[in-house]
Amino acid sequence: MNFRFSDDQLTLAESVRDYLAGTHGPEVLRRLDAEGNRDPAIWQGLVDMGLTGLCVPEEQGGLGMGLLEAALIAAECGRACLAEPLVDTAFVAVPWLVSKGETAELAAIAAGTRKVALPHVLNPWVADGEGKPLQSVDPLRNLVRFPATGSTDDHLLNLGALMSAAQLLGLADAMLNQAVEYAKIRTQFGQPVGAFQGLKHQLSSCAVAVEFAKPVVWRAAQALQDGASSAPLHVSHAKLAATDAAIQTAEVAIQVHGAMGYTYEVDLHFWMKRAWALAGAWGDRSYHYKRVDAAVLGGSQPIGPEHTFA
Amino acid sequence: MDLAYTPEQQAFRAEVRAWMEAHVPKEPLVTLECKEGFDHHVAWERTLASGNWGMVTWPEQFGGRGLDLIQWLIFEEEYFRAGGPNRANQNGIFLLGPTIMEFGTEEQKARFLPPMARGEVIWAQAWSEPGAGSDMAAIQSKAVRDGDHYVITGQKTWSSRAAFADWGFGIFRTDPESKRHKGLTFILFDLNSPGITRRPIRQLHGDTGFAELFFDEVRVPVENCLAGEGEGWNVAMATAGFERGLMLRSPGRFQATAKRLVELYRAHEAEASPAAREAVVQAWGAAQAYAYNTYAVASKIMAGGKIGAEASLNKIFWSELDRAMHRTAMQLLGAHAELKRFGNGQINQWLEGYIFSLSGPIYAGSNEVQRNIIAERLLGLPRVGAG
Ligand SMILES: Cc1cc2nc3c(=O)[nH]c(=O)nc-3n(C[C@H](O)[C@H](O)[C@H](O)COP(=O)(O)OP(=O)(O)OC[C@H]3O[C@@H](n4cnc5c(N)ncnc54)[C@H](O)[C@@H]3O)c2cc1C
Repeated sequence: MNFRFSDDQLTLAESVRDYLAGTHGPEVLRRLDAEGNRDPAIWQGLVDMGLTGLCVPEEQGGLGMGLLEAALIAAECGRACLAEPLVDTAFVAVPWLVSKGETAELAAIAAGTRKVALPHVLNPWVADGEGKPLQSVDPLRNLVRFPATGSTDDHLLNLGALMSAAQLLGLADAMLNQAVEYAKIRTQFGQPVGAFQGLKHQLSSCAVAVEFAKPVVWRAAQALQDGASSAPLHVSHAKLAATDAAIQTAEVAIQVHGAMGYTYEVDLHFWMKRAWALAGAWGDRSYHYKRVDAAVLGGSQPIGPEHTFA
Repeated sequence: MDLAYTPEQQAFRAEVRAWMEAHVPKEPLVTLECKEGFDHHVAWERTLASGNWGMVTWPEQFGGRGLDLIQWLIFEEEYFRAGGPNRANQNGIFLLGPTIMEFGTEEQKARFLPPMARGEVIWAQAWSEPGAGSDMAAIQSKAVRDGDHYVITGQKTWSSRAAFADWGFGIFRTDPESKRHKGLTFILFDLNSPGITRRPIRQLHGDTGFAELFFDEVRVPVENCLAGEGEGWNVAMATAGFERGLMLRSPGRFQATAKRLVELYRAHEAEASPAAREAVVQAWGAAQAYAYNTYAVASKIMAGGKIGAEASLNKIFWSELDRAMHRTAMQLLGAHAELKRFGNGQINQWLEGYIFSLSGPIYAGSNEVQRNIIAERLLGLPRVGAG
């Protein structure tokens, strides 16, 4: 029993964080928003870091890592508000294809020449797929309505929901950070607004929500990785906890920014809109709530102090 | 990350379970907050000690088993699974014990820790004063050095179980010229010392769960001072960290409450509102989240890490979770919620629990103070009054 990432895992996540912080700041989001949303150079950078092949087995030219590493990096993608379809391709589609023994496309995915957006019936549309374009509130999300019906596979849904939850954690962290930084520099009544308890306490409440959503997501990643029969419950729990933390943080963050927060000029909106989009993707709040409800009240999940890791 | 227990950990769980099943009282004890209940709870502390379960993480020489934090969590899970009573000595074993371990001399450790682990000496925390609650640095009670004694004069209040306990630990002003955080000293004293008057205070539920303490020239030997004169604030902050941090409220307690809440919901499903249903499911989720987080913190500490101001996140989370769970239970009970005993004679533990849960956001540093700490120390926002 050890509820801790290894030093290697943490170093990996940190290197992705540093890379994205250095190459994918808010100015890049603005440029993408103005110039068509996708940039092959950004994608190539992710490929060069090995991220497209993170979960691809070594035989197909990947790094052969698992869902824990993928979830950690998905959180970093959320933190950077990454628009390229790395998470859907490399952390949702790849593990799903691997689980089905479908290896044909993996080498191309690892090499970065193939992007995959898998449709699931719960998602009425996908990002970065082929089909009739739709407009998302998230300006950097390239939505399409796909022609065929989607998969009904639960494992695919669980992967998508888990990785959405992980991104929501990173989004929430980033929004909290932006709000805190703004509260330190905006002065009113002769002091930084961040000195007012009315704001401090709201921000602290966000910190509590985000902090306690994190281990739920990591626990879900481990359960799904292990193929535990309770994994769907834990994934739904993770999606709920991360969604609630992110939406709460988004609302507080805009409030802390005042009217600036209501403008298109402040960075916050990119993160907030991504959070709205992911909150409803791969099973919305009601869907995941019902799965938890059914397991906990329906009696299929053993509950109580001795069942922490059931 | 490895979320499976080793065979040794499973064997340990089985050992704790067997012992708890054989020893935990079948009926819940009368509340710890009254003399009768206190006595039952002290007797239980001694039963626990007879099985050497008093404080499993402590070194064996001090009456513990030298176990690690994961084993401690397993112990706690089994303790609450079995419905183990609240710990009469919680302020001793969870707060003062670790503080002595960190700051005490070898003599102090040998003198105070083993009787604490055995439940022979029950401790009360005497920090708050009428004018010094959240603002603890406003403490006025004095301890004046006189040869090899301190002479204590002043008043402490809201000291849990001090009406019935044996010993107390407090912070006193030893430097009369000092202000605020300076010149305070952490002193241990026998509650039966001449010059101490205890005035039990009735709490919200009507029982005298805490007390006011009046000190009239109480003589305490200097060897009862912990970590040196003038060090009181630093020592107290460490103690407060233990209080908010890992040990005081282990997850098993809330997971057990969440489980009982699910059972209560099932009994009231027909008339319960959808909102109550969702609150029950949320309670399970939050109790689990608290457990995962505690395992994560335990794993971090075992790997050499530390927790600091993060303890404030914990304190807010468990206290607000506990209140929310009991509030939901009161809603589910409907008209029965107000009954102190149900028709079948059983104590309404949800009512007792709800009342107690209202104090969680107040004691151990109010949640407003915790939110200040998070804002200023974790998020780095400017201090109150900065401009
Ligand atoms: C059940 C129970 C058991 C206790 N046991 C003990 C014990 O064993 N030993 C002991 O020494 N003490 C004990 N206490 C006392 C406890 O430590 C104090 O109640 C606590 O520190 C708060 O102080 P106060 O009650 O004076 O509230 P106050 O400090 O008067 O606070 C009143 C309100 O003002 C708010 N407030 C105060 N300062 C700030 C601030 N800076 N920013 C924002 N809001 C603020 C508080 O959050 C609270 O809502 C116990 C209390 C309870 C309820």
